Amino acid sequence: MITFEQVSRRYRERLALDSVSWHMDEGECVVFAGPSGAGKTTLLRLITHEIAPSSGTITVGTFRGARLPRARRALLRRTLGIIYEDFRLLNDRTVFENVALAVRITGHFTDAEVVPRTLYALEEAGLQQKQAAYPSELSAGEKQRAAIARAIVNRPAVVLADEPTGALETASAEEILALLRRIHEDGAALLVVTTRLEVGAALGGRILRLEGGRLAADAAPARSPYTARELGAPAPPTAPAPGA
Amino acid sequence: MHLYFLREAWRSFRHHQGLAWTAMISLTATLLLCGIFLLLTHNAQSAVRFIGDRREMVVYLRDEVSAGRRDALITHLTELYGVTTFVSREQAWEEFSQQVGDPQLLQAVDQNPLPASLRVRLRPELLNYPAMEQAAKQVSQFPEVEAVRYGGEWVRRLDELQATLARGALAAGVAVALAIMLVIYNTLRLTVMARRREVEIMLRLGASDRFVATPFAIEALGQTLVSALAALGLLFTLQQFAAQQVVHVTFLPPAWIVTFLGGAALLAWAAAALALARTLRSAGP
Repeated sequence: MITFEQVSRRYRERLALDSVSWHMDEGECVVFAGPSGAGKTTLLRLITHEIAPSSGTITVGTFRGARLPRARRALLRRTLGIIYEDFRLLNDRTVFENVALAVRITGHFTDAEVVPRTLYALEEAGLQQKQAAYPSELSAGEKQRAAIARAIVNRPAVVLADEPTGALETASAEEILALLRRIHEDGAALLVVTTRLEVGAALGGRILRLEGGRLAADAAPARSPYTARELGAPAPPTAPAPGA
Repeated sequence: MHLYFLREAWRSFRHHQGLAWTAMISLTATLLLCGIFLLLTHNAQSAVRFIGDRREMVVYLRDEVSAGRRDALITHLTELYGVTTFVSREQAWEEFSQQVGDPQLLQAVDQNPLPASLRVRLRPELLNYPAMEQAAKQVSQFPEVEAVRYGGEWVRRLDELQATLARGALAAGVAVALAIMLVIYNTLRLTVMARRREVEIMLRLGASDRFVATPFAIEALGQTLVSALAALGLLFTLQQFAAQQVVHVTFLPPAWIVTFLGGAALLAWAAAALALARTLRSAGP
């Protein structure tokens, strides 16, 4: 699905990614965790071909190469669903129009076909009641739901999320993580980059730690009490206090 | 999908009305200038054509030429230069009398001094100074011919006027084309820059350049066509006003109007293609 082979990316003097190799399979959930400046966003931008690697090879599905031609880049991005920390919604369009835009961009559907697909994605994201609202009328959590609906409306094989809970307060963050987990359980591969380790734990995927542009460790799936609570599972029993 | 592009173009126009109106006012002024020049050229051409129709060569015959030789010469000249008609001495005197109009002055002339002549209505390809000069020289070689008159200097000036008008129309056309391209190019660049965030998001979602560019191009085309129609409306008002003040000023013929609109649209499309190809590359990720 996605493979990095000895990929490095340099910004002038600074090495943002240093000979990173990893692979993710179809339907897998991978979380890249690490502090700011670790190279997480660079990694996502390399996958979407917003930037080209300084060295190494990137394969995303059937797209392989360091620098794809402009038309191929557009085609590649249409096969991905992308969620940004700052939502990147168009403020002069309703939630419906924002989601429908992603369908229109594929160029495969008539006006009549756009509507049911969009409504279905809004329903999945729990936003059907807000379809006529403009982004300025939504809470941060609702904006992120709209961005998620836009990302999944074309049924991409992989959903990329850049710090999806970064701009949200705890309750909204929990809802968004639950939604992402449901999308993953429905079959989409999920790749999340985050500074918060607990996000990785909440999603239950393979956690890869990025530090200083290098891959530090490949941890096993983990679940935390925080994760269980946010997914609606009963809270684990509290351990008795020592000496109780 | 086409409806979507039209809606997007309209949305863009509404969101950047200030920029759009500035562009349309500039385009209307430029196109009106072009229209005025076209109107002048069209009317000057009509006038020149009208005058050109009267360009003829007058061949004066010797007195002793017989009717047989005269008729043979008429046939010969008609074949070589154009329709030739005979004007007898009496007809010439009649025409002269009508032109002078004063009977006392005419009575002062003892007898008809005017010679018989042939009037050659020259073929269109001969209606220029060098061809007329050469034809006059050739005709004067015939033994029946006394003299040939064709108003050489006057014809030369008429030719020069036509050439000047053609050069002026071409120069104005090129200048206006450049102005239109420049206005649309810069307006589109500013519009795309003003909507940079939107363009960037679309490109991140996988929009092709064509998908992003089409509404902008439609907007530019719409603005240009509305400006061209406004310019034609203003030009018509000007023509009506001028027709009341000056004798016989006619409006542009339909073929010219279609060419004017088509040319403006073509220039708008070309400028949009140039501007968008460059701007989208710098705007998108």
